[in-house]
Parts: sequence; structure tokens; C-alpha cells
Amino acid sequence: MKIVGVAACTVGIAHTYIAQEKLETAGKKRGHEIQIETQGTIGVENELTQKQIDEADIVILAVDVKIAGRERFEGKRIIQVSTEIAVKSPNKLIEKAEQVVNAQK
Amino acid sequence: METNSLFQVYFNSVFKTKEEVFSFLSEIEGNDFYKKREIINLLKEREKVGSTLIAEHVVMPHVQSSLINKSQIVFIHLKKPIKDWDYHSKNVRLVIGILLKENENVQIKKSIASFIRALASEDFVSRLLNSREKEDFTKKILKPLEE
Repeated sequence: MKIVGVAACTVGIAHTYIAQEKLETAGKKRGHEIQIETQGTIGVENELTQKQIDEADIVILAVDVKIAGRERFEGKRIIQVSTEIAVKSPNKLIEKAEQVVNAQK
Repeated sequence: METNSLFQVYFNSVFKTKEEVFSFLSEIEGNDFYKKREIINLLKEREKVGSTLIAEHVVMPHVQSSLINKSQIVFIHLKKPIKDWDYHSKNVRLVIGILLKENENVQIKKSIASFIRALASEDFVSRLLNSREKEDFTKKILKPLEE
């Protein structure tokens, strides 16, 4: 499965980066291709290409604030949660993404 | 005690409540009343948005302000756990406070972010929690930055 996403928290220094790392680790552990863009105090890092977004089976937005470029995900299946959820339960979130994708196959 | 330009480590510290920790963090750069009040307010505001728990027994209160002169990561290893940090966070044993200067340069922000990413590893956090000596704890903190 191909997963893309964005992590962004209020101050943009703590949960943004932990959420990214935890989601990417959890996704890879379950055999998925995953990339999470961060929109934090440094700006945009690990930026997604439109090709990656187009090819993704699902989008995970772990965000506490309005993100830049949300329109890139228009028409995609999106799971949106707070960064707190992504930090606390990354494995469950990836499982949920699998369920959503599998249910629509 | 300063361990490098970005980190401070306080080992076996005694704090009973979140408020005591916030007060301590607000005094890191001195005793200015206005500054202390502002930092405490910002820390509290962030807590209202959501829990700063990043792993079991570990919280990461953080704040960005123009009143902060020097960005720092402040490790407070607690001698005894804080039983009730908030509704979600019980028996907190390690506080990692982040004080971020407004408009900090990108290299410093990247160093902080890189360290924070390392904290996503349960193994790393567990090693920090299980440190018995300050020296050992400090070595473990610095390891991800050397890699």
C-alpha cells in the first residue's frame, strides 16, 4: 500500500516531527511505502510530489493547524487526526488506513 | 548544568506538580517577572491544545517566544514521578522542555527537530528512562546527534 501524509502541530517543533517519524516507522513495519511531509517551524520538509500523492492509496493528515497545499489531496481518501493521536497510536492509525483502503477495494 | 550549547540536564530533580516544572522552565533564563509569566502562559496554552505526552512517562512541554533569548532543550529527569501531570499523563518520570527562540536560525531548528525525531524511538526513550546516572543519561541524549 502507498501512504502519504502531512504532520503539522501548533508550535511546529515537537509533535510535527515525532508524528512523522512514528507514522513512517509504523507504516514501513507493516510493509507499506510511506512518506509524511512535515510543515513545522523549519518550513516544509520531506515534501510530497504530486506523483506520490496521485499514486497513494490513502492520505493521513496528522494536523492540529490549517496546512498549506491541502488542495493537493482533493479527491483522495483522507484520514485526518490530531498529532496527539499519531504520536500516541501510530500502529492503530496505520491499521485503520489499511481497513479503509481494503473496505473500498 | 550545561551539556552542550543546546541541552541542559537536570537529573534526579524533585518536582511534585506540572506547575512547579513550568515555573522552573520559566526561570531558566532568569527571574524577570514578565518573562516568567509569559512563558508559563504559553506553556499552559499549548497544554490546552492537547496532551504533550510523547511516550509513556515522558512529556514534552514546549514554547516559542520572542522573549526567549537562547533556544534550549531542557531535560528534567525526576527523582519521583509526578503522579498527575494531566488527564492523559500519569506517573511522569521525564520532562523534556523545549524553549524555542522566535525566528531561530534554521540550523538550530534542524538540530532540535533531528533530536526530536530520535525520541520517536521507543527503545531510545526506554534507555533514557532507565538511566541510573546522570553521566550515562547525558551520553545517551547526545548519541543521536553524533550519528
